[in-house]
Amino acid sequence: MNKIKALICIVIPILLTYALNTKFGDTPPLLKFLNPFTGFWQNAEKNTVNPNRKITLKATYQNVDIAFDDRMIPHIFAQNDHDVYYAQGYVTAMHRLWQMDFQTRFAAGRISEVVGKKAIELDKYQRRMGMVYGAEKSLEGMMTDPKSKEMILAYTAGINDYIHSLTQAKLPIEYKLLDFKPEDWTPLKCALLLKQMSAVLAMGSDEFYMTNIRKKFGTDVVKDLFPDYPFKEDPIIPVGTKWDFDPLPVPTPPADALKEMTTGNIETKQKEEGIGSNNWAISGAKTKSGYPILANDPHLDLTLPSIWYQIQLHAPGLNSYGVSLPGAPGVIIGFNQNIAWGVTNVAADVLDFYEIKFKDNTHKSYWYNNEWKNTTTRLEKILIRGSKAEIDTVYYTHQGPVVYLQKPEKFSKAQNIPIGNALRWIAHDKSNELKTFYLLNRGKNYNDYRKALTYYTAPAQNFVFASVDNDIAITANGKFPLKWKDQGKFIMDGSDPKNDWQGWIPASQNPTVKNPPRNFVSSANQSSTDQTYPYYINWEFSPYERAKRINDRLTVMTNATADSIRTMQTDTYSIHAQNILPAILPLVDGSKLNATQKEGFSLVSAWNKHYDAKEVAASIFDLWTKRIQYNIWDDEFSVDGVPMRYPSRDRTVQLILTQPDSKWVDNIKTPEKETLSDLVNEAFKYSCDSLERKYGPIGERWQWANFKHSNVPHLAKIPGFGSKTLMIGGGKMTIDALSESNGPSWRMVVELGKTPKGHGVFPGGQSGNPGSKFYDNMIDTWANGELYDLFFMQSVDDPSAKIISKLKISKK
Amino acid sequence: MVFIVILIASYLLQMVLPWWIIVVISFATCGLIGKTGKISLWSPFFAILLLWTGMALFKSLPNNNVLALRVAGMLGVSSWILVLALSAMLGAFIAGVSGFCGYHFRKAVLTKKTNS
Repeated sequence: MNKIKALICIVIPILLTYALNTKFGDTPPLLKFLNPFTGFWQNAEKNTVNPNRKITLKATYQNVDIAFDDRMIPHIFAQNDHDVYYAQGYVTAMHRLWQMDFQTRFAAGRISEVVGKKAIELDKYQRRMGMVYGAEKSLEGMMTDPKSKEMILAYTAGINDYIHSLTQAKLPIEYKLLDFKPEDWTPLKCALLLKQMSAVLAMGSDEFYMTNIRKKFGTDVVKDLFPDYPFKEDPIIPVGTKWDFDPLPVPTPPADALKEMTTGNIETKQKEEGIGSNNWAISGAKTKSGYPILANDPHLDLTLPSIWYQIQLHAPGLNSYGVSLPGAPGVIIGFNQNIAWGVTNVAADVLDFYEIKFKDNTHKSYWYNNEWKNTTTRLEKILIRGSKAEIDTVYYTHQGPVVYLQKPEKFSKAQNIPIGNALRWIAHDKSNELKTFYLLNRGKNYNDYRKALTYYTAPAQNFVFASVDNDIAITANGKFPLKWKDQGKFIMDGSDPKNDWQGWIPASQNPTVKNPPRNFVSSANQSSTDQTYPYYINWEFSPYERAKRINDRLTVMTNATADSIRTMQTDTYSIHAQNILPAILPLVDGSKLNATQKEGFSLVSAWNKHYDAKEVAASIFDLWTKRIQYNIWDDEFSVDGVPMRYPSRDRTVQLILTQPDSKWVDNIKTPEKETLSDLVNEAFKYSCDSLERKYGPIGERWQWANFKHSNVPHLAKIPGFGSKTLMIGGGKMTIDALSESNGPSWRMVVELGKTPKGHGVFPGGQSGNPGSKFYDNMIDTWANGELYDLFFMQSVDDPSAKIISKLKISKK
Repeated sequence: MVFIVILIASYLLQMVLPWWIIVVISFATCGLIGKTGKISLWSPFFAILLLWTGMALFKSLPNNNVLALRVAGMLGVSSWILVLALSAMLGAFIAGVSGFCGYHFRKAVLTKKTNS
């Protein structure tokens, strides 16, 4: 009896302890998380900052001084290259460890290790797309170059020395919530992070859809509705720019390039406007100071902790300020004493699918060049929290991984991946992007800029440039395969060598322009060139509206200052509305509208075409035009079992403006014959009715900001850790390209001159800790369209900077 | 006495050991010097309630409760005070139960001895 009582008295506390110290499903280990000695309370940072700290880190070669300014931005002063990157690793980990760790685990397909079985399809996808394979190749490239090797090893050592200094109490809060621990950083993780950028920016693929469309409608319809050059365009390299090189011969397409490939069955999806960005540089002829001004705002999925981490790196031969990616050494977008640079994405077609004919179900050999060739296999071991590890076998042809042999169910990322196809993707190639940034950070002039770009592979970017010598330039830069026209627009036959990538466009022949007569250069992800460029980069780029607005404004700009550029970055004027409203407004039959629709109509008619926060017309217009697009195309391009996409917005505009009687207008699913006017009227009523259903009677709640609901969520979507809803304007098609949670992830304006003056802001803060006041302190400034003056310090004691804390790292 | 011992021991040992050391401390203290069941339940309970509330406030107040508010948002409650109450009450509860179990463990073991 008493033995039992004694036993019960021991068992109860043990059971309770176990229950409160263990993660069940998504519930964090309760008391491990809530206790104030090692749980989340320890992550509450004091509002006051220690003004002077000293630490000893044996791995440094010499002393390093780090000054943190009033926004917690580190300014690192080191005496050699090793120490500067070591310190960058150390401070980045100090502020962003969990983010770096989580993003690289994501890239490597290792999320199941943390969250268990529910992430298994995601992990398989990452691995089957060859993310780890590509990162390993890329790392090889980085390690071959002594400079980038030193950079990456020092950065890694800095991160690890920070990790080793942590106790349970000091771990970032997300580790406590998800109940895991940081592991040592490795150079491979730097490569994985850069691959993930390629995945975000250059993983899009429409060739599966395009193949289906060609099969259903034929080549002529494809030529008509999916043309190789848009109806309206304003290319990055100004029309008329001469190509001063002798182009390489372009490979010939196979005779049966139009051969039809088989398809699988998945749902239709409307193409979302991709991730875009703006950058431009204006020459001294157009500025008040007589020196160039450069601006850049890369648009990405916004998150907290912020995507970017601001930093200044100072060492002999180096003084560079800008934003870095947590997980990669160096400054990615920024400036130094002499030059400034920025990037936007080039939608180059550097990802192709090849249909593979396997000999049998073992997938051991495939047909290529009239013989059977062996595949190689790569085993991907996926560790899963709370269950047994899974081994996933991926077959590789000479093109690359065969992504899926069976379609995973209910996994949206797999939608545009054709079954049994091999993937050829630039991100699988050996590369060394770090070297580009190493050289740009130290660059002094135009020649240094051009040299730096030659090392860059992917994701291809429009590198804009300005220097104190009054040079401005822009280059659509990356390693571009030498393709025959439209190679990779459709799925290709993997057995024909003529379909392989057969060479590269020489880096020196990438589209570029220096000091054009119009005195500015710009890009907004639109076509790189006009149709005279001798090589094929892609058949479709982002729509031209943002670029057009940028170029319109820059053309008339004189005596520009940083402020005129700043207001331009938050311009919300819609070129799309300007193009299309004069054609569709007259089609609306006012007599058939109800009271709400009538009021909506008068608002849209009087609208100034700005996507401003308080504009009701913007909400109506946005829904209206999307619905028109749906009305025109959905009847033909939405077929069960045949995944296709709609023609572009550009093609839709062309149809409305020039072919209102086109056969595509009629809804083939009804017996009546619809006219464009019918579709436009239905769409207008639909737009007003849905707004009314969702937001009640027409009024304040219909305003664009309320409809758009912009916010910056937490990276792992943890509720409470994101931003509040931001009542601000902007839209995907405007320069200020802010949608719900995708938009300008960093806004920078640099005035070149004797001392360069930088201005910048990102929607978040330097710290990744939700318990720090530096977690989201810059959001309001960003939302208001303002910029901070950036402190470009000349020495650690430079009095021009507002320094709130100093950290001295000594060797002993 | 039990209260003071648990308070001090829990404070010091939690600096270096995981939170569940309070379970061991409460159990052992009440097992050794717990006079009655009632004392063995409530002394650890209030010791940990006080200690954890104090420590949480010590970290949270200089932070203007920014983090506690975010965690409240995550848990779907309106006030950070509720997060504080939940943390401290859960800790106090498990300490109280452990103390109570410690006391009765001694009773069980002692009666066993007298019986045999």
